[in-house]
Formats: sequence, structure tokens, C-alpha cells
Amino acid sequence: MNLERVPNEEKLSLCRKYYLGGFAFLPFLWLVNVVWFFKEAFVKPAYDEQPQIKTYVKRSALGLLFWIAVLTTWITIFQHLRGQWGEVSDYLSFTIPLGVE
Amino acid sequence: MGPGFAKWIITVAFCWLIQIASGNSVEQKIYVELNNTVPCVRLLNATHQMGCQSSISGNTGVLHMLETDSDLDIILRTGPHAPYMVLMDAGFFNSSIMLRMKNSTRIAGVAVVIPNSGPLEGFSPHNTCPNQHTGVYSDSYGPRLADCNGTIWNRLGNGLSFEDFKFPIFSLKDDNQTGVIRKCVSDHNMGVNGSTPAFPLCAMQLFSHMHAVTSTATCMRRNDIQNNYSLNPETVCDPLGDYNVWAPLRPINSTEKGHKANESVVVAATRLDGRTFFWDIATGAEGTVAGFVTLLAASQALKLTARQAPPPRNILFAFFQGEAFDYIGSSRMVYDMENNNFLIDLENVHSVLEIGQVGLRRGSELWLHTDPVSRRNDTSVNTEVEKLLKNMTSVAAALSLSLAEPNATQPLPPSSFQRFLRSRQIPGVVLADHQSAFNNRYYESVYDNAAYLNVTYPSDLTPEEQLVFVTDTAKALAEVATLVARSLYLQAGGEDSQLDNITADPNIVTQLLYGFLIQSNNSYFRSLTNPEDKSLLESQAPQYYVGVPITANTIKRSTRMVQYLLANYIGNPTSLNQSKCQDPSGMPGESKELYSYLWVRGANGSEPSPFCVRSTVRRTHAISPAFELKQYDSQTYSTWTESRWKLIRARIFLVASHELEMLTLGVGLAVLLLSLFVTYFVSTKADLIFAPAQESTGTAY
Repeated sequence: MNLERVPNEEKLSLCRKYYLGGFAFLPFLWLVNVVWFFKEAFVKPAYDEQPQIKTYVKRSALGLLFWIAVLTTWITIFQHLRGQWGEVSDYLSFTIPLGVE
Repeated sequence: MGPGFAKWIITVAFCWLIQIASGNSVEQKIYVELNNTVPCVRLLNATHQMGCQSSISGNTGVLHMLETDSDLDIILRTGPHAPYMVLMDAGFFNSSIMLRMKNSTRIAGVAVVIPNSGPLEGFSPHNTCPNQHTGVYSDSYGPRLADCNGTIWNRLGNGLSFEDFKFPIFSLKDDNQTGVIRKCVSDHNMGVNGSTPAFPLCAMQLFSHMHAVTSTATCMRRNDIQNNYSLNPETVCDPLGDYNVWAPLRPINSTEKGHKANESVVVAATRLDGRTFFWDIATGAEGTVAGFVTLLAASQALKLTARQAPPPRNILFAFFQGEAFDYIGSSRMVYDMENNNFLIDLENVHSVLEIGQVGLRRGSELWLHTDPVSRRNDTSVNTEVEKLLKNMTSVAAALSLSLAEPNATQPLPPSSFQRFLRSRQIPGVVLADHQSAFNNRYYESVYDNAAYLNVTYPSDLTPEEQLVFVTDTAKALAEVATLVARSLYLQAGGEDSQLDNITADPNIVTQLLYGFLIQSNNSYFRSLTNPEDKSLLESQAPQYYVGVPITANTIKRSTRMVQYLLANYIGNPTSLNQSKCQDPSGMPGESKELYSYLWVRGANGSEPSPFCVRSTVRRTHAISPAFELKQYDSQTYSTWTESRWKLIRARIFLVASHELEMLTLGVGLAVLLLSLFVTYFVSTKADLIFAPAQESTGTAY
């Protein structure tokens, strides 16, 4: 969808949908929201719906950062310690790498 | 001439190019594949992983020949081309050198050239106390004898088979291919007057990446997880195991399992397997073959007398598979007997006579090993053991053998009988050629082969002449087989007067030795097996590493061969035809519950005269009970598994210096960038460059 051709009210409703959707443990929606609406929120000349879009984009970005932090920490810990955890890490893994502890 | 002709030319040119590419590919120009190699693979038990492995993309290193101590110094400390791929002769393949390499980061892998005969001083990659923790002696049973405290059985054991190497180790035969490697090394890797050699250097790449890690508990858990949750399950390890072969002398009904009233059975046991450091080579001449050939010959010797004057007790011939790996076969049979899952139970077992290593006698001496603990604890067991010893000694007196008993406090050597004793105090004897430590200097090593057992032939004989040539070893083993057969007959309550009729035939023993040590594809084995069983016989020495079943129904060749031979020796030919042989139910006098039926080729001169053999020979699973019980960290039962792998491969090639490789890469990248730039330039200026050409085509139309 090309945002250029969409009326402003619809932009706002789209942006809100993506923002709310992200709460369903879908951080990628927030990522899309941030990338897609960044120009609308911060670059375009002001219009009525812009302040609200701005808040949604900011909050999406915040949530995205939170997810990145959590996932990075977990992945780092898991990859480092999976060998030591033994049984637990096998049950946590979807694909068990071959020939690795 | 026209477009058709152009097309034809293009097609021909294309085909020609493809032919060039496939017949003489770049890969073939770079690499020399080594086909005659055997890797060391990873095995796992309850607590450890051992063996060898490469990285997933193979280990590569510059070859260095290990010939002197200074070579070792170059490899481990000073050489500029680390990591090294070490090419060594078997003389250097000992624990001190291998353990130094194991702890070094400068080793990419090792290739060992294995000669046909071993070092004089002996070599055994097994440990000094085989099956240390799964025998009968423990803290609760003869604690002073546990852990080989009484006797170190395998003095020469250096334990290499139980080390975990982080690099691949392959064995090579001393043949043309090894010559090619040596030439490559001497042409490229020898510096002039001891200087550092210049690039390109000869390198080797070994692939043996193993999928299982840590222990059997870990890999079996991963198997289970994968099978339950994964869409694309991938097994990482398999339990070692195969089949036990056994046969009662008198048929026992197989439909009812468990205790049999009025059945008293003498078990004649031996083992069917061995192992070495490397995967799937184990000729086990003294360690394995001498024992089971003796028992086979004994069964053949007994047959006629047993039919004419049947002894009151039954005799069960049992050939156990997987004994090298913590008694897989015997522990499974005892487990089945305990759980009423076998023809008889342990109460039916009157006594056990086991044939250990019997091929390397010093003079005429054989040793009768007994268990001091049960003899001390239980007077009735002691009386029975003494009766058995007396029987055997009296039998030996008539032969030219002398039997002796080791020190009364000496424990049993590693033997299947120990697994019976773990469950019940049964009288028994283990017959062996050694008093305490093994006579076998190459226990569980590649050198325990036909030559070591002196099964050698005059050089001018054809294979068929070799087959029937009676070697001294065959004569010696035939004597032992006679001793075993007569002792079994007496032990089963037979009459003394019949003993002279029981004699093992050296002609049969020598053919058995030829078949099991030189090549199984010979006229004798062909006549005793099913001709349709094409994969059974091979033109080399069979290997006795128990291994893992490739599919659920695979049975080891050696197991099937022993089954056929035993069936021929103690069974009887019948008049059934081939289809009735498979299912004889309904025929008068035949019963699938009492007998098993095998179709064999037979021999009438060189012509086949096939017939159906009726015998009591059967096979049962020799898979450790630990896997039935899912106790993958069991201390009681064998937990050995073999890792899976995708690729085993070895090849040599020439490597350029690192600088040259980087330069090539750099030039390649530069050309790529340049071409991108040129393309961009051309496409932006396309109007200018191509304008006149467009005009000219325009005018042509």
C-alpha cells in the first residue's frame, strides 16, 4: 500500500492497529510501524492526525527496543550456557544442532 | 547454411563442454580421494564420549611425516604450518605420543599406516581391565577382587580406545595409495637440507563429523525429543547390538517361556565379537574367533554321540554378541531368563562352561578359571565346580592336553559367565590359554589377525587348497574342541564309555578358521549356507565389531554365518522342499515350535544339492536391557551407543600459501568491482555509446 494515496484518517487508524497489534507479542508489527510511519510522523509537514501518529510511532519504537533488549539477553545467555544446562536446554530447543553439546 | 546449422553447432559445442566438465572436473584435478581408509568414530557410554571427530566441514592440515622425535617437536612446537595433519607409521601410534597430540592445538588430524603384523612388544588399545564395572566383582561381591585388584588381565592395554580425541584419526593400509601420499609429502613437504619447505604444500582433509555428544543419556534423550517433537526427526546415535545365536542339543518348546520343569541345562558359552580402535575392523583371531570356532567344532563332534546315547541333561550352545562392550549379549540373555522371556530360566541352568581365548597355548597347557567367591560362599556350588574340574581333567588326560587351575583366590577373567553369576550362584568354568594376564599381546587391536594366530599357508596354494590345508593351529584347536565336547558330554551326565566316539575333526576346524579369518566366500561355507543369501559371504576376513543394525532387520554377517554352521552341525537334513522349508507347519514330525528350518546349498562335488536343515538353532536380540528399560545411565547394563555421521571421507591436495590465497581473493574482488563500475558507466552512457548502432539497424529494415 502506498501511504501517499491514503487519506490521513486512514493513516492514523492503520498506525493504531499496528501499534495495538504489537501487544500480542508481535514486536515485528512495531518494527513495521516504526519504519513505515517514520516519515509520516517526523518528516511530513504537520497535519491534524500527525501528533497522534507520532505518539504511536514513539511507543512502538520503545516497545521494539524493549523486545530487542530482552531477546538479545536471552539468546546470549542461552547460546552460552546451553551446553551446561544439558537436559533443560534440549527440551528448550526446537532444532538441536548436531555434534554440539 | 542458416539458423538451423548455427543451432546444431551450438548444441554440439555444448555437449562437448559438458563432457569435458564431467570427465575431467576441476575437483578431480585438485583432489586425490583416498578410498581405502577406516576412520575412528565416536562411541558413547553412560558417562562419556570417546573416539574421534572432525569439524563439520572437515579438518585440513599440511601433512607432516612423523618419523623421528624431532618431527614430533616440529609438529607440536616449532613448525610454521600448524595445524598439522600427521602421517605416522603404527610404531608411533602409542599412548604417550597420542596423548601429547590430544592436548595440543596444533594437530588437525592423524593418519596411521597400519601394517599386517603388530609390534613385537605388543599393542592393545583396550584398557587394562576389560568390562571393569559390569562384571560380577563389585563392592558387594568379592570386593577385594573388584576393579581387577586380583589380576590385571590386559597388561598391555593403553586405553586409547577410551580416549576422546577432538581431531579425526584415520587408518590407512600400507598399499599403493599410501605410496601416493608419501610421494606427495616427499615431493612437496621436504625442505632442502632441513629448511622450511616452500608452498605449495601437500595437505590432507579428513571428514568424520559426529552427531552425538557427551553421553548415551544425552544422545538417547535427543533421539526421543526429535522423534516426538521434530517435523524432521534426526537420530543422533544408535545402541550397539545384534543377535545372540543359541541352540539346545535337545529341542525345547519355544512357545512357553520361563521355567521348565525337569529341564537341566549345561550352558556352553562363548563370544562372537571383538573391537579395535578403528571403526568396523576387528578380526579378533585370538580374542574372538578361536573361541567360537572351538565351540562350533565341539558341537559338531557331539552330535552323533548325543543322538545315539543322549545324556540326561540338555546342553545349550550359546554364542554371545556384543560382549566386548560390557557384555551386551549375555546380560540380555540373563535378563530375558530372569523375566521369563527365554526358553528356560536361570534355575534350569545346571552349570556353565565358557570358552575364552584358547588359540595361543604355551605348550600343552590350558587353564580352568573358576569364581572363588561363589565356591567359598556356597558348598554345593563348590562341589559341582570340583566335579566339573575333575571331569575335565580326566578328559584331558586322555588327550595330550594338560589342564591346570590358577591360584584359588584369583577371580574369573572377563567372561560372559560373570553375568550369570551376577544373578545366581551357578557352578561354572572358563577355559582359557592364560593363567593370569592374557597371552594375547594384541587384545582388541587390529593385529589380532590370522597371522597372529599362525593361520598361514604355504605360498603356492590356491584358495581352495588353502581351505583344506590343515594348519597346526587347527590341529591344536581341534584338540581343545574335543576336550570341550567330551567335557560337555560328561557334564550333561553322559557315560564315560562313549567318550572315545567324540572327537573334533581338524579338517573342519581348519576350514572354519579359513572361513572366519581369511575369506568367508569359500566352497565349504557356500555349501552350508543359503545360496540366495547373496550378501552373506565376502572375499575377505569377516569383521567382528558388533556395530549397530543398519535397518531394524539387519543381522551381522558373522552372526548369520555362525547360525548356519551351528544348524548344519547339530541339525539334520530333511526331505522338505524349499517352500515347505520356510513354513513346515502341518508336515508330519515337523514343528516350528521345536525347530527352526534353514535352506542350504549343500554340495555334491562342486554341484549344489540343496536341502532343508532342521535344527534347534535360534537367534534372539542382543540389545542391552538398558535400552529396553530406558535406563540410559545404567550402572548394571551396557549403555554403549555409536554416533551417527553424514560423511566419512579422506583426500589429499596441494595448498597454496595463505598470502597467495588472499592475493587471489583480492584480485577476484577487484575484478568484480571493476566490472560493476564499467557496467554502471556503460549503462549511464548507453545513449551515447549505442546511438549510432541503433540508427544503423533502423536503416536495415
